[in-house]
Amino acid sequence: MEFLTPLLLGGLAFVSAPIIIHLLHRRRLTPVDWAAMRFLVEMMTRKRRRLLLNELLLLLVRTLIITCIALAMVRPAFKRSLGSHAGTAVARTGRTAAVLLVDDSLSSQAGRTQALFEGMKRLAISYLGTLITGDEVSVIWMSQLGQPSADPVFDLETIKSLLVNARPSYVASDIPALIESGLAQLKRHANSGAEIVLITDGVDDGWRFNDVSRWEALRRRLRGPSNASLGSKERPQLLILCPATPEPMRNVAITSIVPDRSVLTVGSESSFKVNLRSRGDPATSSVRMQFLLNGRVLEQRTVEVLPNSEASAVFTHSFQEPGSYAVKAKLLDHHDFLAADDQRSLSIQVEPSLPVLLVDAKGHSGLRGKLGFLRYALDPNGTGGGPFKIAQVPLAQLVPSMLANYRVVVLADASALEPAMVDALDRYVVAGGGVLVGLGPDSDASQINKTWARGGEGFFPAPLSGVSTPTKTLRPAGINRTHPAFAGFGPRTDDAWKAAAVRSFFTLATNARTAKDLEVVLKLENGEPLIVERRRGMGLVALLTTSLNADWNDLPLQPAYVPLMRGLVGRLGSFIMPPRNLLPGEPIVYARLSNSAEVLTGEDPSGKGLPLSLGGWEGREAILSEALTQPGIYLLRDPQIARPIRFAVTPSPDEGTLEPASERQMGEVLDPDTPILRRVEQVSEKLAASGRQSTEIWKWLVAGAILFIFVETWMTRREAAGSFSSVRAF
Amino acid sequence: MSMVQAVQPEILARLGALSLTSRQAVESILSGQHRSVHHGLSVEFADHREYQAGDDLRHLDWLVLARSDRYQIRRYEEETRLRATLALDCSGSMGYGQPGPTKMGFARSLAAALGFLMVRQNDSVGLATFDVRVREFLPPGSTMAHYLHLLEAMFRTEPGAETGLAAVLEELASRLSRRGLVLLITDAFDDPEALINSIKLLRYRKQEVRLFQILDPRELSLPFSGMTEFIGLENEPRLRFDADRIRKHYSREFGDHQSRLQSGCHACGVRLEVCQTDEDLFTVLGRALDSR
Repeated sequence: MEFLTPLLLGGLAFVSAPIIIHLLHRRRLTPVDWAAMRFLVEMMTRKRRRLLLNELLLLLVRTLIITCIALAMVRPAFKRSLGSHAGTAVARTGRTAAVLLVDDSLSSQAGRTQALFEGMKRLAISYLGTLITGDEVSVIWMSQLGQPSADPVFDLETIKSLLVNARPSYVASDIPALIESGLAQLKRHANSGAEIVLITDGVDDGWRFNDVSRWEALRRRLRGPSNASLGSKERPQLLILCPATPEPMRNVAITSIVPDRSVLTVGSESSFKVNLRSRGDPATSSVRMQFLLNGRVLEQRTVEVLPNSEASAVFTHSFQEPGSYAVKAKLLDHHDFLAADDQRSLSIQVEPSLPVLLVDAKGHSGLRGKLGFLRYALDPNGTGGGPFKIAQVPLAQLVPSMLANYRVVVLADASALEPAMVDALDRYVVAGGGVLVGLGPDSDASQINKTWARGGEGFFPAPLSGVSTPTKTLRPAGINRTHPAFAGFGPRTDDAWKAAAVRSFFTLATNARTAKDLEVVLKLENGEPLIVERRRGMGLVALLTTSLNADWNDLPLQPAYVPLMRGLVGRLGSFIMPPRNLLPGEPIVYARLSNSAEVLTGEDPSGKGLPLSLGGWEGREAILSEALTQPGIYLLRDPQIARPIRFAVTPSPDEGTLEPASERQMGEVLDPDTPILRRVEQVSEKLAASGRQSTEIWKWLVAGAILFIFVETWMTRREAAGSFSSVRAF
Repeated sequence: MSMVQAVQPEILARLGALSLTSRQAVESILSGQHRSVHHGLSVEFADHREYQAGDDLRHLDWLVLARSDRYQIRRYEEETRLRATLALDCSGSMGYGQPGPTKMGFARSLAAALGFLMVRQNDSVGLATFDVRVREFLPPGSTMAHYLHLLEAMFRTEPGAETGLAAVLEELASRLSRRGLVLLITDAFDDPEALINSIKLLRYRKQEVRLFQILDPRELSLPFSGMTEFIGLENEPRLRFDADRIRKHYSREFGDHQSRLQSGCHACGVRLEVCQTDEDLFTVLGRALDSR
């Protein structure tokens, strides 16, 4: 016999309750003077044994009532093992603790009428059919990863109902994270026979096969200690239920909408490149695409898409007013295996100009200063009429309160910042600000390392090693062409720096940890980094290892300096914080300009109201929504701002590849012997339940409890009735 | 409790309407309302009977003989005084009743009222207080001064020792040489068979007996709840019971005792009057004396 809810075994302690109550009752004596002792003495002489017996019987009956109820709650069951496990993939002897990991990511929507997800559900339900009473099951959904998971349950019908009613979500898949979550969930199970059942659509994107170290760590956890037996909690049995993928998986996906510049400003013509990716053999080679701005169709055109290739279309628009906009690209009359990625949205912010604060260590202005060239590059006329609105302060006058007014701060050849200012810059970057640091002859490497970099903990991208002044000048060579800073360059980017010369620069003292987060934007011809960038929190910090002026190089004298600096500063200031382009499952976070009692309202893509609540973001008061599950444009109306703020929820573009993961790939990252079951019949054959049988007796116990309650009532009533009839007798 | 309180004026006033009547004529040399068994000693004609050899010829009704030639002896009734003895149980169990009226208090009031009635109709009344033995015995008297003396003795006595009804009644029977009435006021918490035997002895000694059983209502219903420690009033050992659980058994024991007492009294012609201390004394008296 075993208990199916052993956690409730503690309830058996209540069995002692009637005895304790009885003993306590006996201790509470009420003394009374009594004349008719004669009858009590006679009664005691004659009825002592009967009274004692009655009392004990009543106590026994009451104890039995509690015992039956307590036992029924722990659900005792008799199990029998019948026959052998020959031919089964998994040898089950005891009770099974099954964790179902359901990959309900966007790619599981693939197929006509979501055939892939329906196949996954069928497999999962057939797996449930191999379980017996007493097995406990818990379900973890990919779409709810990171949220607290539900407790395991023994009611297989509840799980079945849950699966039958399940719908795929729009989240991106992360199979290793799902398995890790399943391993953690196993600890909450009471049964000993551990099984982790991965129910996946088999699309390779979520498997993250390239993340070798993560899979290695996961394999170690799945193998457990050397003495652990397969099917134990230390070494759970892993099963993969993956429906056969319908072939071919034709799909055309809009993978991204990329604006041509980081900062969109009023009056200038902005272009948006809509990228498409084709998978499989599409029915037609051309697709009709619509480009919409705030729900209004701007343009519609036909785009040629070749099989298994990428294509793009560029749409242009000139914004006349600043504010929040949403652009959307949509495929029309297109039928492929995944409809969810046939449209894509992007939230953009059009600014009158980007406020930039230049901080010069010595406070010089004009071309003599450290920032003279940069200032002219960003605002040639000095009127602030372009996309950049420049302000400049000497380092000595920089105070933390200034930062809130600027999207980008440029520090030129400075190192002596007050600790409070360093902290303020750190918080500024974490909360989404952009910082560009240019070095130079006045830069103190040890001071910067100590207070700004702090071994990778500060806002400075990487510790400095020392100044390098090669005998022969160096020119920039390695260019990261995909970086937005080079968006303004043409195809001959390398030629732009042919005549440049860098005389001195700082080398970086990076280690494995700091190098991991560092993105090299531009290198020197000797391979040393010239411009690096590191994301910190929600902001970006870019470092020019040489000077921003002509002290150590002649970069400012090169034509490419202007687009490079404009691109770099625009990139640093392009992040609207909190972000407005969200993934499914993320909430809207909106930090108001000022605290106000006015009420904000939200609207989802279908026009219904969106519940909002008050919360915090980076130390500021913020408005939060619940997690957004549906892709599309969400509106937030702030009475302080004329135009509504638009948030775009778009799924991960990688989910649309629909490339099936092969069994060989799965075997490489997991144990090669891991059973992969693709058909319902396979599940039934390999996981036959016939080897185990179980009979629960909780119903009998409940019936027993009810019977004993009747007996107890009868016994107590009989005594009461007897006493009244005796009194009535005279 | 004072004597005045015990015999409340209101009760006394209402008692005026009642009189104590013996069902059996008692021997008395004083005239009263009770018939004497000594026929021929009085002037009030009762009836005739056949002449038998040895009859006093002075009682032969000559007028009947002359008229019908039959020998008839005249029979006379003589009204005589009743000699009553109030036997008051003063055992410890009679002290029960707090809070509220005790059985002893009720018994005193009842005895006082009965005594008053008898003295008022020129009957003689005496008093015997007892527990395991006769504590005090006052022979019958018919004056109001005697009655007050009785009351004083009655209220001097406090309940205390154990109950020994059978022995006491035997002792009392030996003290009562002449015919009379014994009004036994007790809770009768004694062996019913022994009590009945003693009553029979009293009956044998030409005593009419009336038994007034004084009970507290709680003794009928055992109204306690939960674990209760019963402390006896006559030095019994303390007993601990769950009152709810033993109520049925107690009631049976009590009912059995009452049945035996009642049947025993009935068998020897003794009237048993069960009085509860929460009853109105006048009602009890009315019920007890309404048997003329």
